Order: sequence, then structure tokens, then C-alpha cells
Amino acid sequence: MGGKSDIQLIVNGKRTDGRGMEDLRDLRIEVGVLPEADGSSYVQWGGNKIVCGVYGPRECIPRHDASPYHALVKCRYMMSPFSSLEEHSRSGPSRRSNELSKVIREAFENLVIAEKFPNTQIDIYIDVLQADGGTRTASITAAAVALANAGIPMKDMVAAVAVGKAGETLALDLNKLEDNFGQSDMPIAISHRDRKILLVQMDGLLTKDQVIEALDMAERGCDKVHEVQADALKRFYEKGEKEKMQW
Amino acid sequence: MERTIVLPGEKIADGRVNAPNTFSNESGTYAAVVGMKDEEGRYIPLENRYRPTVGDVVVGMVTDVRHAGYEVDLNLPQGGFIPTRDVRLTLQLGDFVICRVKMVNEVGDVDLGEVRRLPKGKIIEFPSAKVPRLIGRKSSMISLLKDYTGGDIMVGNNGYVWISENSDMPLLLKTIKLIERKAHKSGLTDEVANMLAAAKGGPVRTREQIEGAPAEADEQRFEQR
Repeated sequence: MGGKSDIQLIVNGKRTDGRGMEDLRDLRIEVGVLPEADGSSYVQWGGNKIVCGVYGPRECIPRHDASPYHALVKCRYMMSPFSSLEEHSRSGPSRRSNELSKVIREAFENLVIAEKFPNTQIDIYIDVLQADGGTRTASITAAAVALANAGIPMKDMVAAVAVGKAGETLALDLNKLEDNFGQSDMPIAISHRDRKILLVQMDGLLTKDQVIEALDMAERGCDKVHEVQADALKRFYEKGEKEKMQW
Repeated sequence: MERTIVLPGEKIADGRVNAPNTFSNESGTYAAVVGMKDEEGRYIPLENRYRPTVGDVVVGMVTDVRHAGYEVDLNLPQGGFIPTRDVRLTLQLGDFVICRVKMVNEVGDVDLGEVRRLPKGKIIEFPSAKVPRLIGRKSSMISLLKDYTGGDIMVGNNGYVWISENSDMPLLLKTIKLIERKAHKSGLTDEVANMLAAAKGGPVRTREQIEGAPAEADEQRFEQR
């Protein structure tokens, strides 16, 4: 990240996986995959495979953390040991997964109407089964669907997508190669109705103009992601019974 | 108007409307949970978390016997409480009860009254948003289930459903699952009637017959006992 690399990320205006600069990877979402959870979802986004389960509101543990004013939103993001080749070979919390749990939690603290459930907690568990760049955006996308499935009141739906600079041009929804060898990576989560930015992080360098352009791209990308989320929820609730998963 | 699915954050009315599972601001009222807009444009939640309100009829199980009263599991983060001074009957750990919510305080503690012990049976979970469909118009669905499965059923607003021991459990559970899956479809009572008639081999009853039958409202049924 940041420096020049030998890898050609853009060839003839196409990216390494044949996409244009503003194309998303193949995104599929399934709702209600875990019968034991209050709400759940499965997201397959390019090479990312993510399962999300939501529980609660339930009794807050430890009790002294509980607030009499609102429910606590808790989030645990975890990469499975087999999710990617190198550094995640040992399960359990790490510096990276703690950071991701925190930023995802903060995104949802803005959405969940927690005042209705005093002295309780709402748990969001996110397990990354396979990682291919952009797991935090895919996790937020998955968790929003799982929270809706759990019937937890929310002010809005949220979708997330990363914009970055690969091969000196802005590109939407970076894959692992572009993430690792590109010049910049900026994951962004935008709420659907009131267009609030609930997560923005940046790695690498972008000029002011590029950031403005990137935010526009992210907004368009989030709309596309929201369409897939809405479609998944509508399929689940209209049909009334679970479709057979087909992959 | 056709039935459509509504997602959290979608606008359901222009002015401020005070309805459960919604929130509102100056610009309108919005859905807070996944729901459905029916033919008349009304918003019906499909998925929610039960929040106790005074007057609700709830089903629960006694989880703790204390000097001052009984702790009851109500499918809520906090249990409900039956003060001993309000009830004459003695309850035991594991007893099933049906009662009414007397009071809910700011932090969600629930006090219960009008307690009645339920006979031997089983409690199953049912999504509280879909409870109105399980009861049916004028308790039509309940009387249908009772007629065909031979037992007694008590539905709590909290999403706990008590079914008596002597009912045809496999058929009843299967039917309740069907109601849960198809709660948002119209013509559900007829479909359930057909299914039960096919399973039991009896004559199919139409919805008019069921609703016309002298089935007391669920509320009255509760008062009687």
C-alpha cells in the first residue's frame, strides 16, 4: 500500500478480475441461515464468505455494564483460521479484529433504536469464513440484514463498500490484490435513507479531489449494495419459507 | 394496492403517526422493522421484539420461587414478577401460568396479575409479531386448531404458546409452523382448515363457518376462568 508496485492492476482499462472501474464484484445475500439465532445472514461478495448472527436484546453480561437508558450494542468480528492464507492462522481476538469489531459496532450504534430496551445488550457476531479484501464492508452489509431479520428496530438500513486507488485511478470495491498492491483503500458505509456516513477509514494517500470523487463513487456503490440487501430480505419475507441455498 | 415488503427506514406516512415499531420526525413516519404494506396501505410489522405493555395477556413459566413472589420467564431479557400478596394459589418451579401485565416500569421490569396456573403441557415459541394471525379474527384460528387437534391452546402476546398435553402434538406443531411461515399471506385460515381436514379426514370448514360459530373472543375466554 502506498508505494509503487510492479504488479499491473489495470490492463486496457480493465481490472485484474475483468471488472470496470465502477463495477462491484458478484454479491449474493441470504437471510435467516441460522435457525438458532434471532436474526442471521450469509453474504458472498466476490471471494468473501461471511456469516452473521444477531442475538438480543437479552440480559446484559456483565451486569455492571448495563445502562438503564439504552441497550448496549456489542459486536464481535472474527476471521476464521482458514479464511486467508497468511496471518490469520490462529483464531481469537487480535489487534485487527478488535479494531473492526469497534468500527462496525459504532456504525450500528447510530442506527439501532436502543432506548427501547434498557438494561439489555444486542449481540452481533460476524464470522469471516473466507476473506478476499473488503471484509469490513461486507460485514456491515451482512450485519444490517441480520439485524433487520432479528426484528431489532433501526432508523435506517446501511450498506458499505470500499473505494480505493488501484493503478493510479479510483476503483470501486477493491479485491484483495488491489487492496494489497494498490495505492489507497477507503472503506465507506452510508445509511440508505438519510445518506449519513457511518464509517470512513483510509489507508494510503488520496488528494482532496480524489476523496470527493471517491465519496460519490461510494454512494453509488452503496445504492447497488442496498438493492441486493433489499432483494434478499424481500425474497425471504415474500416467500414465507426458506429457499434452498444454491451454491 | 398490492402487498409490498417494507424495510427499516422506509417512509410509511407523511405526518407524525404514533404506532408501535415505527419512529417519526418532522418529515414523516418511518418503519423501524421489516414489515408489510397491506392492500389498504397499512403497515404491519413482520418481525419485532416483544415489548410488554399494561393489559397484555402473557404465557410464561415459573423460574424462581421467592418469599415475596414468583419469577416468571416471559421470553424477555428480564423476567416477570408475580407478588405473593396478589395471588392465592401456590406455584411451583416449572409451572406454566397465564397472566396479565399489571405494570411495566422504565427499565422494563414487569409485574403480573390475574394469574392462572395452566395444566400439564408444553410451551413453544412463536414470533410475537405474528401472534394476531395465530389467534385469527374472533379467535377463528385457535378454535380451528382446538377442534382438529383435540387439546387446549393458550397464546400469549409475548410469543409463548401453551399447548395441552392431550392434543395431537405433531399435527399441532406442524400447523403452527405453517402459520408462522405464511403469516403474511391472505386466506391463511382456509389453507389451515384444508390442511387440518386433510390430515384428520374430516369435512373442510369454510372461514364463514368458523367465524360464524359461537367462538368467544380470546379476551372473554380469559375472563371466564
